[in-house]
Amino acid sequence: MNCKGRMDSKFMLMADLLCDKAATTTAMLREKLKTCTVEYITNNFDVESIWLNVIMKRLSMWRNFPELMNVGRTFHTSSVCGHIIKLTRLRVVDNSEIGKQAMAEGKPPKCIHIYNKKGVGTIGDKVLVAVKGEKKKGIIVGVKQNQPSLIPKFDSNNVVLIDDTGTPLGTRIHVPIPQILRTILKEKNVVKGVDYTKLLALATRFV
Amino acid sequence: MNQADVSKLMSRLRIKYKPVRRRLKNPEGAEGRLKKIRKTLTALLKHERIELNYNRADETRGYAERLISDAIRYGDCHRATMELADYWILEKQLIHKLFKVLVPRFDNCPVSYTRMYRAPRPCPGMYYKRAVLELRGNPYPPLLPDMTANRNLIHNVLLDEAQKEFRAQKYAEIAKKLEAADDNVIKSIDDGDEESSSAESSGEDETNVLGEAQVQQPGEKVVHPSQNMQ
Amino acid sequence: MALWCRGVQRILVDVRPIFSLFQTIGNTEYSSLSSVSRPEGLGSDEAKEAKTVEGHKPIVPLECRFVYPEFLPDPRLDHRNSLREKLERMDMLNRRAHIDIPEFYVGSILAVTSSNSHAPEKSSRFVGICIQRGGCGLRASFILRNVIDHQGVEMFYEMYSPVVQKIEVLRLEKRLDNELLYLRDALPEYSTFQLDMEPEFLPEGAPVPVNPIKVKLKPRPWLERWERQELKGVQDLGLPERFYKRAAEVARPWEKYDLMKEYRASIPAEEQEEIFVEVYSQLQQLEVMRKKMKRRRTFVRPKKMG
Repeated sequence: MNCKGRMDSKFMLMADLLCDKAATTTAMLREKLKTCTVEYITNNFDVESIWLNVIMKRLSMWRNFPELMNVGRTFHTSSVCGHIIKLTRLRVVDNSEIGKQAMAEGKPPKCIHIYNKKGVGTIGDKVLVAVKGEKKKGIIVGVKQNQPSLIPKFDSNNVVLIDDTGTPLGTRIHVPIPQILRTILKEKNVVKGVDYTKLLALATRFV
Repeated sequence: MNQADVSKLMSRLRIKYKPVRRRLKNPEGAEGRLKKIRKTLTALLKHERIELNYNRADETRGYAERLISDAIRYGDCHRATMELADYWILEKQLIHKLFKVLVPRFDNCPVSYTRMYRAPRPCPGMYYKRAVLELRGNPYPPLLPDMTANRNLIHNVLLDEAQKEFRAQKYAEIAKKLEAADDNVIKSIDDGDEESSSAESSGEDETNVLGEAQVQQPGEKVVHPSQNMQ
Repeated sequence: MALWCRGVQRILVDVRPIFSLFQTIGNTEYSSLSSVSRPEGLGSDEAKEAKTVEGHKPIVPLECRFVYPEFLPDPRLDHRNSLREKLERMDMLNRRAHIDIPEFYVGSILAVTSSNSHAPEKSSRFVGICIQRGGCGLRASFILRNVIDHQGVEMFYEMYSPVVQKIEVLRLEKRLDNELLYLRDALPEYSTFQLDMEPEFLPEGAPVPVNPIKVKLKPRPWLERWERQELKGVQDLGLPERFYKRAAEVARPWEKYDLMKEYRASIPAEEQEEIFVEVYSQLQQLEVMRKKMKRRRTFVRPKKMG
């Protein structure tokens, strides 16, 4: 049997256990080997020398390439996609009382439901938001996510609080609003009793 | 983003290279890969012909061509190129060889600076593909036979035929000139004026005509003997 | 007879120029000029890069690759298609004949007017600093950033989109970095530009100025690990030592020597020249026409006195 060939996995496991401490010296290893139980007994070769070989190889790997011994302990993360989903914190951009207080306190509203078939909100989607212990509805007016050409991308996820009929709670929106909101909200006006145009009237600037 | 980074000008590689680099398994990772390629590149510049595994040879070939093309483009007084050469060439006397020997050798070379051949694999042994990587103009005898002189190859067959045609054409022209010269001689003899002088001049012109026909390179204007006579 | 034979031999040699070249290479007799020492100068790269190959001078200026970077194709070998690239270049020139796409760099301030079906005026204008340029061919794009009413806004534009009506350069300048994405984490004053900014003109033929400004970043958290990128346009980040230590551990200093990596990410000089030779004369014509139009506009008819 070729003792330089691939070793059994149990050998490797035992060798790893012995190598756990990087400061182990050869003498200490030899002592440990004497006390270890050797399960595999063969005729042709010296088991001790093979163990020592394996262990010394592992030790040298540890000493020279410590970062490689952590193989398998990393995990893969995807890049930030900037979606507005449940529990996303949003920034209130109108001058409603409840919104201003929440932002001043440092407890921004959290999105708890998105009113579309996908659980992901973008510009123009109606969301249910938890503000200062209350549930309020809001319209997303700006997102951090990368947008297609000619649609502006903002540095924060902005929301304007509204009530069920679509009338905003505040009286002015001091940040710029994307032009595309005009078209989106016009389409949403199809539902009876809902009028989003008041929101557009509050906007000071369109981008 | 996916725009080309053109801050540095580099010469076009005259070899085929793969779109994605080979990782060349190495315990040190990407840095170890470059270190290994460095060693191979240094050996190539030192020995000018090395035999090694195919994948590493192909990777090193790209780096060798790039290094030599940069050395040719920028010369040895360009700091960035010297730093590159200092990094890639481990034996420092080979940097001198690169700039003083290899650059003049390859300065106007229209083809690649290296050649790579597939080498036979050792039969009982590791079954990796082998390759021989060499610099052009190396002092060793060529690995492949020189096919340029084999008259039975199609390119030489065609060239030989072209030569024969050209020669035949040239003989025809010379024959024409001789005939024309002869006619003129006969004419002058018939006229009866300046017998000896005309014969001498015609004789000289004949040799002249022949000499000019030989010296003319293909493509040059053919000087007509009638013009010479005047 | 002897003359005749010599002549024939000479003819033979002339008919096989290529093989003679190989033979001389093989015999190491091939030697041309010794290496000419060129003057060292880190700034005069352009002069050095115009290396003459047997007296060949570059026909197009070397700055073309910076002024018109989108004419160069995507360097990825898998994405190269010479026919598609040629057709794209033709289309790009056609578009440039209709609209003036000026020279600008990352760090220049632009004003873009585009047609917007959602706006009541059917067009919208955005002013901002160019923080990133990308894409090749007709997909060439740039991102403009501005802070409007204390809200940071970014717009992504495709240069050759027919929707874009006008691109004006309000301030033409370069910055110390190729990409200014760190402005997102910088104090808002560095990204604020007036929407009614007047264009600033440079004297004709002047080189593009480089703005050596060092931007101050907001305190962490940031969108990216700026300490790990070699940013020149940023003030001292003021982070604890462990950040810089980890950055040094994670750094890959060997990549700057990786010759094939930089080759695969770039287009070789010969190819660049081939492309710009195709395209340069038309671009020059357009430039000249634009200058004429500008002069015509600024010409004011002298009024009759009295």
